[in-house]
Parts: sequence; structure tokens; C-alpha cells
Amino acid sequence: MITAYFHIRLKQMLRAIASLGWIRILFMAGIVAFLIPGLFDQLSRKPHVYYVFVVFYAILLMVHLKRSDRLFLKTHFVNPKLICFTEYLVISSLLIPGLLIHHQWIAMAVILPAILIIVQVDRLPGARSLHSGLISKMVRFIPDGSFEWKSGIRSSFIFMALIWIIGMGTSFYIGSVPVVLFILGIMPLGFYEKGEPVQMLLAFEKEANGFLWYKIRTSLALFTAISLLLIAAFLVFHPGRWYIPVAEYILFLMLHSYFILTKYAFYEPNTKSGGLQVFGAIGTIGVIIPILLPIVWLLTIRFYLKSRKNLNFYLNDYH
Amino acid sequence: MITIENLTVAYVEEKRIIDSLDVAFSPGTIHGIVGLNGAGKTTLLNAIFGLKKKQSGTITYNGVPINKREMSYLMTESFFYSNITGREYLRLFKNKQFHVDRWNDLFLLPLDEIIDTYSSGMKKKLALLGILMQNKPVMVLDEPFNNLDIESCRIIRSILLKLKDMGKTILITSHIIETLTNLCDTIYYLEQGKIKNTISKPDFGKFEQEIFSAIESRNEKLVAELLGSAPLSGKQVKLYEPAFQRAIEHRDLFRRF
Repeated sequence: MITAYFHIRLKQMLRAIASLGWIRILFMAGIVAFLIPGLFDQLSRKPHVYYVFVVFYAILLMVHLKRSDRLFLKTHFVNPKLICFTEYLVISSLLIPGLLIHHQWIAMAVILPAILIIVQVDRLPGARSLHSGLISKMVRFIPDGSFEWKSGIRSSFIFMALIWIIGMGTSFYIGSVPVVLFILGIMPLGFYEKGEPVQMLLAFEKEANGFLWYKIRTSLALFTAISLLLIAAFLVFHPGRWYIPVAEYILFLMLHSYFILTKYAFYEPNTKSGGLQVFGAIGTIGVIIPILLPIVWLLTIRFYLKSRKNLNFYLNDYH
Repeated sequence: MITIENLTVAYVEEKRIIDSLDVAFSPGTIHGIVGLNGAGKTTLLNAIFGLKKKQSGTITYNGVPINKREMSYLMTESFFYSNITGREYLRLFKNKQFHVDRWNDLFLLPLDEIIDTYSSGMKKKLALLGILMQNKPVMVLDEPFNNLDIESCRIIRSILLKLKDMGKTILITSHIIETLTNLCDTIYYLEQGKIKNTISKPDFGKFEQEIFSAIESRNEKLVAELLGSAPLSGKQVKLYEPAFQRAIEHRDLFRRF
């Protein structure tokens, strides 16, 4: 049965790639070809190899926590953790050749324990406390229309609050606020990955443009509320470097708008869009590698037009 | 009045789910749409609500193309966004006249709890509260009684009858005929994307019998054929009683065909 499962997985991957179309496949291949030599280079150096390692497995942990096929695995396999373990081992083979070539034995030795730890984790700390009084009170300040934020804050409040407090408490270190701002800017992007039921879309009774504008406006306001005090703290200790958090804040405003437009460009009720995952990754890379920013800007325009067209199918009666 | 003329819906050109359908749904009436799985019930409702593109035909409400502003739609599966409460979901529908807590006295839902913790029946009730809150003149309900307990079914039945008296047009699908005969004024039997039969209230009993015997005889013949080609073990047969048992008894009879 495990062989059949991996056969299905392979077919799923091939179908997902085929659905992208040739132009997007070439574009993605170009980005991968651009990133791999850089990754290979980072693996050759200490301590960079450890940074790569931590980021790689942090992303893998996030993917693991967001898996939507957990119930399927639990009901169809005697040992679902073994399935996850095997999958993550296959994914780790991206790093293994580079680590072997550069004799990075410590990182090699930690791969198996890292995967073993990841497959044991079921949820982030604090994810159980959805009903806690504090979270309920915080969520009340979020507008009803921003249900993505209500949902996302509930599931990751403890983690985000912890990061935010660390950022404020260590803001006298020049690198602290930018790193925290980066994490808090990236995390809400995950709130948008699932398409809402069509009834929730129609409840706004707005036409496509008005709806998109509302979504972008509220999202940017909420991100501003999270980041404002952090930026202020940075400016108190490092006024000469004011442009660092400001530039980061502006980049994330752009990235949030890009994500919302991408979500609705590929929106289908009740589904996680493959398009958002692929183009979301491109947008995120665009923030890390500024040379790709013009591509993100062009895609933003493209997805604005596409999201309007896609939403018009559902909201055409609200003109 | 909802008027559907020459409606055709197809997922691929060759396979029409709804095939040149003509029907009219009058206001102040509960219309039932019944049919076997795959007959096209949900596709028809999706097309009426504008969630499925039509290949041809028109759907009008009072003479103008039908509009989502005039309709609310309860889908078969009650999908919600995860990690939001029932109350937060209902607050999306702007209706200040609707007293959520008073209406909830009927259903006793834990509105301040996360929807993910609700049972499927509770989710259905929450979706129905949302529909009632929207208070549109046309209500399109796909399998509204699925997953509900007897008491909730009775409550919803009485609500729907009151809404009918208020002049609303209500379309309901179900694959359970008894559900519809207890509630509807007219029932449409859908088969392969066409309305095969339209029955009004006085003929419901006769219709029920006809449908049941037609389905039963067709299934028995098929079951007998399958059993003839690959006989089941005694243990398996027990699982499929009584329909299979009857089929086995008639196996020889069917083999002669």
C-alpha cells in the first residue's frame, strides 16, 4: 500500500506541474536553476550551512503542520508517521548531496533526528488554546470581514506574541527588529492559503474591485498594527538606520497585497490553490532576492486583472 | 416566478448533466427536486445560483435574469472557514433585524465556540441560520435535512412552511422521497438531466410507489446479473440482505432473460 501511496504522490506532483503550463514551468525552472548554485555555495561554508539547515527544516515543519491529508493518512495507514518520515527523507535528499560533497558531517548527522522530531509534532505550542480569554479578546479587534486573520491569529497567537515580545525586548540589537518583522510579515501570508466558502464571499455583497480593495485595506491595517510598535522601538535605538524597517515594512505591504490578489486570481471555493502556493513562493523569494522584485510587480498587475475576472464570476450580480 | 428555458449544463461537451431543461418555479411554493445520485440535482441548483456556467438557456426571476441578490443557497456540504466561531460567521451577513440569539433558541448552537468543534448536524444548522439571516425571496436548499436529528428536521420543516406562507420561492433537493412528500407542493423527478415526471401533492403516494418499484426492480436485475457472474460467499450475502437475498432467490428467473 505504501508503494501505491507514493505512486499517487508522484502522479499528484506531475499533474500539479502539468497544470502550470510550459511558460510557468520554464519560469520556475529558471528560478530553481538560479537558487541551486547559491544553495550549494552556502552549504560549503560554516556557519551558513547551519542557517540553511534551520530554515530548511523550519519550512518543512510548517508544511508538516499544515498538511491537509493527516486524517487520510491516519485512517488508511497503520503507521502514518512512517509515511511522513519517508516523504521528508526524500525531500531532504535536496540537501544531502551538497552536505556530502562539502563534508558537512554534523549537519548530515542531524538530518534524521530533525525529521524524527518533525513527524512527532502535531501542532504549534498554543494552538490548543483557541478558546483562551486573551485570544478571544484580541480577535474581537479584528474586523469580521477579515476572517482569515481571525482564524490565523487564533491558531498561531502564542507563537506570534512570543516573537513580537522578543522583538520588542531585544530591539536595542540592530538585527533583532528586522528579523522579527520578517517572521511576522511572512506568517500572515499563510492565513490566505485556503479559499473561503462561496457564501462567505457573497456575504460582503460587493463587486470584485470593492471586495479586493476591502481585503487589501484591512490586511494592511492589521499588519501595520502588528509592526508599528516594533518599528518605533527600532527608531528609538537606531534612528540613523530608519530606512531598514521602513523598507521592510513597505516590502511586506506590497507582498501582502500581492498574496491577496494571487489568492483571488486562483480562488476556488473551499480549496487550497496550487497557483497561490507556486506564485506565493515566487513573491516571497522576491522579497528575499530584490532582483526579482520587478517580476513580482508585474505579477501583481497580472493577478489584479485575473482576480477581478475570477471574482466577477461569483460577484457579477453586485455591480 | 423562476423560469428556466432550454437549460443545458455540461462538464464536457458530450456529457450533458442538465439537458435542455424547461421548468418554472412559482412563488409561495416549496418545490422538491428528487432523483438518484448523479441525476443532476446539485448541478441544476449550482446553475440557478450562478456557480456553474451554462452551455445554453436562460434562467429568469420575474422576467429578468436571475441575480444572487435575490437568492440564498444552502450547499450539500456545509463548508466553513476554520478557526472562526459560529457568531463570527453569522456576523458576516448584515441583517440588524435578525436576532441571532433568539433564533438560536431553536437550535441551541454554541455560537461562541470554534466551528471546527461542531458536529456535521450543528454545521448544517449554522448554515441554515445564515440562510435565514439573509432573508432573500428565493431559497435554494441542497439536501437541507442531511445529518439532522428528528427534532431539528421538524423545526426546519415548520420554518420552511412559514417562509412559504410569506411568499418565498423555495427549492429543495433530496434523494429521500419521503422527506419531500411531507413538505413540498410539487415534486420534480430528475433523471439524466431531464425532468421525467412532475407530480403535485394529491399524487405523491402513487408516485412514491412507482419510483420505489422502478428502482427496486432495476437494481434487483442488476444484482442478480452480478451474482450470476461472481457468486458471493454466504458471509457477504448476509451483509447485503434483504435486497440481495431476494435477488438470489430470483437468480434463475433473471438468467433466462
